[in-house]
Amino acid sequence: MSPKRKKPAPTIGVNSPAPPPLSGDPILRTVSRAAFALVMLFALLLLWRGHNAPGGGFIAGLMTVAALLLHRIATGRSALRVPPLTLIPFGVALSVLTGLVPYLLGQPFLKTAYGYITTPLTGEFEWATALIFDIGVYLTVVGSGLSIAENLAEVHPTERVEEDE
Amino acid sequence: MTLAVLFPFLMALVCAWAGQKLGRRTGYLAAAAFLPALALALPLAGMPGAAPVTETTRWVAELDLSLAFRGDGFSLLFAVLIGLIGLLASLYSVAYLSATEKFGRFFPYLLLFGGSMLGLVLSDNLIALFGFWEMTSVTSFLLIGLWHTRGAARDGAVKAFLVSALGGLALLTAVAMLVIAGGTASLSGLDLAAVRESPLFTPALLLTILAAATKSAQLPFHLWLPTAMEAPTPVSAFLHSATMVKAGVLLVAKFGLIFGGAALWSGILVPLGLVTLAWGSWLALRQTDLKALLAYSTVSQLGLLVSLYGLADAEGRFAATAHLLNHAAFKAALFFVVGIIDHETGTREIPFLEKLRSKLPLTFVVALVATLSMAGLPPLGGFISKELFYEGMLHRGWPYLAVAVAGSMLTFAYCARLLGIFFARRTPLPAAAEDLREHRVKDHIHEAGPGLLLPPALLAGAALLFGLWPGSAEWLTRTAQGALDFGEYGGHLSLWHGVTPALLATLLTWALGAAVVWQAPAFAALQSRLTPLWNANTVYYTLTQGLGHLASTVVARTQGLALPDQLRIMLLSAGIMGGYAVWRSPQVFQPIGRVPLELVPIGVLLVAGAVGVLLSRNRLTAVIVTGLTGFGSAAAFLALRAPDLALTQLLIEAVTVILFLLAFRYLPGVRDLPRTRGRLILDAVLAGAAGLGTTLLVLSSLRFLAPPISPYYLVNSYSGGGGKNAVNVILVDFRGFDTMGEGLVVAMVALAVSSLVTLGKSGRTRTAPGDSPDLSPLPSRHQNRRRK
Repeated sequence: MSPKRKKPAPTIGVNSPAPPPLSGDPILRTVSRAAFALVMLFALLLLWRGHNAPGGGFIAGLMTVAALLLHRIATGRSALRVPPLTLIPFGVALSVLTGLVPYLLGQPFLKTAYGYITTPLTGEFEWATALIFDIGVYLTVVGSGLSIAENLAEVHPTERVEEDE
Repeated sequence: MTLAVLFPFLMALVCAWAGQKLGRRTGYLAAAAFLPALALALPLAGMPGAAPVTETTRWVAELDLSLAFRGDGFSLLFAVLIGLIGLLASLYSVAYLSATEKFGRFFPYLLLFGGSMLGLVLSDNLIALFGFWEMTSVTSFLLIGLWHTRGAARDGAVKAFLVSALGGLALLTAVAMLVIAGGTASLSGLDLAAVRESPLFTPALLLTILAAATKSAQLPFHLWLPTAMEAPTPVSAFLHSATMVKAGVLLVAKFGLIFGGAALWSGILVPLGLVTLAWGSWLALRQTDLKALLAYSTVSQLGLLVSLYGLADAEGRFAATAHLLNHAAFKAALFFVVGIIDHETGTREIPFLEKLRSKLPLTFVVALVATLSMAGLPPLGGFISKELFYEGMLHRGWPYLAVAVAGSMLTFAYCARLLGIFFARRTPLPAAAEDLREHRVKDHIHEAGPGLLLPPALLAGAALLFGLWPGSAEWLTRTAQGALDFGEYGGHLSLWHGVTPALLATLLTWALGAAVVWQAPAFAALQSRLTPLWNANTVYYTLTQGLGHLASTVVARTQGLALPDQLRIMLLSAGIMGGYAVWRSPQVFQPIGRVPLELVPIGVLLVAGAVGVLLSRNRLTAVIVTGLTGFGSAAAFLALRAPDLALTQLLIEAVTVILFLLAFRYLPGVRDLPRTRGRLILDAVLAGAAGLGTTLLVLSSLRFLAPPISPYYLVNSYSGGGGKNAVNVILVDFRGFDTMGEGLVVAMVALAVSSLVTLGKSGRTRTAPGDSPDLSPLPSRHQNRRRK
């Protein structure tokens, strides 16, 4: 916090002069429409296969945040219908619940269970309660990342808290 | 028993949910929550001679932690007391609280407190006991600060919490020492001989006394109890007369069986209790607020109990338990009575209250019985237990009895003062009480309804019963004999036990007390002349303000610096600590083995990124060049066959760049701070040392201090966690708890950012003039809603 400086030094960053609203860019909008869907699908794939191949809740969550941010920048509105902060309690609760259920059944806290089922359409596939835990992590990461980004975006650049000066 | 402890916690959830809908009727639910605790009276009935009831639920076996409850006579007596007064307080609250109260908060807090208290008295596991002890501190903090819009309530809550948390830390240490010395965390299973032999015995003893003194408001920790009276009156009756403050007494009584043999134990506790008794009643006599008077009276009565249990002999424990019962009965009744007076007249200030006998006749009868019991007059329970108190102190020595008589004389005097409000005598307003002049007494004073009157009437009835039929109180007291080791003690409770020195001391007390009452104005003048300016509160506020001052000074000195200065301090201190570590345990460096060829270009990339950041004169460039190191690391992870890490690193890079750019909009451009030549050299040395240190650290970590754990995960991840991706199995299964914690950290950061940003928006901000209001590249759906 540099004291006694009334006027901000000349800015070289993105803030000089005011950038044009990005949502006006038609190319970005068109590309993002396709890219958003693809990235989201890929993120879900990462989440799903995380137990056996590279992926997992954290990575999928980050990828989703990136996709949602892209969508937000391109179209100017959030693809998420709820404030992102509300995802966090659900995510955390889901993770804790997956831990609690085996504990109440006499297993160690967070012990995962897995098994195989065969359905006519998909053939044999594996299920694991770890996926539910991962979804909890996923929701937490998406909620947190997006909420941080949105909060930063919403602060008005020239807005200052009184005590700052 | 486990049910009795857990039921209030469950009901707290129910009440929190029902509080909005049921309003004050939630109190009936809350009252019901104490019924299982009252059912503990059934095993109590067969208690003298019977074996204690135990229930154990395994919890964390590795830590020797279990929910072990042990219902011996003493614990059950306490539990029933808590249950009964909790029940009465809940019912009383229904009639007492105004309809606008936040019932969804009040009753759950009350129940959480009741549950913690039950857990505390019944717990046989030392660790669980400590946990419940701390929970009583936290819940009482919530209760005292219930009306948190009032500064006094916040102050009282913080003060109570700080003092009892200090004691909690002492208890934690004492418990740890006992567990180490005694070999187990089970209170009843402790190896007493080993504990007494252990060098930890004396420290544990002193820490236990500290814990008990803070909780039971012994001198000089009595300061929190009077300010805790900011809580609603039913709460005060429950917490601060009947249960919470007795937690310390309970500790003294129970741990007295461990430490009682030591001369130090009685040597500290008995004088401490007696001084508290005298000083508390001295202060009580000076109060004009009825509730404050009762608060200081509680301080002094707790002193009496502590000194009796501190005697650590059969006689003392018997007398203390008898007085414990009496005190619970009359003190809770008196708090309820004061609540009635406050409710009906609109004030609690003694100078404004007069002639209440004719206006509140029923309340008067209740108050009379309870006050006379407190003053120790026959034929009430308080008289009998006070006789035993005098006997116990007499055996200790004449000086002890003298202090006891002095304290009781003042007790007698403040009891008389309390009763004065029911008669025509109106005490003159002290000169110091100018700020009370705007107090108004309601014009029409009505007798309270049955909802308010019944609980204190029941308790006063008990006080009367204990006096007229001492056998009832003695039977109750005897139930604790097995737990407190006074089975062989042959004493009895009776109204008349011949002309003994104790009776003479009682007569002397009355005479002196009557003299004090008779010369009340002169005595008050004497008091205000003698009372020192310096007291425990001054120390407390000096300390807390000093601490705040110190904190803000440190913050101003370290956080107010320019970024380079902060960086210098950080690097320097990290260097000092790292250097110390290397000096203490010299590291052995492994020769670096074969370097995979594909790592060479990656290394170049990483170095290029680092140098590039130094050279860039623009934040945007800097971020992009930093990305080089990030992507370089990702490439390195890939080369070392860690695709999961690489993927994470890549995505983190992408998201952080976006976050960076969003944050950059608020920062001024990059500037070169002027640097002298000396500074430049210093910085170069610092940076070089930091780099060298990090390199050494990384190199030294190449040597394994223990066999690596990774093969275990690779072998077991499929069979144990059912996943082929070992990294993911580690994250979600083997170390799932860590992941959960990390998720919480991420969530916490998001909440912190969100609250920081919204804090800036809540009307305390201003927009710099001349700026158009909407420069944000990301228009928000939530923006308008938050701004309005």
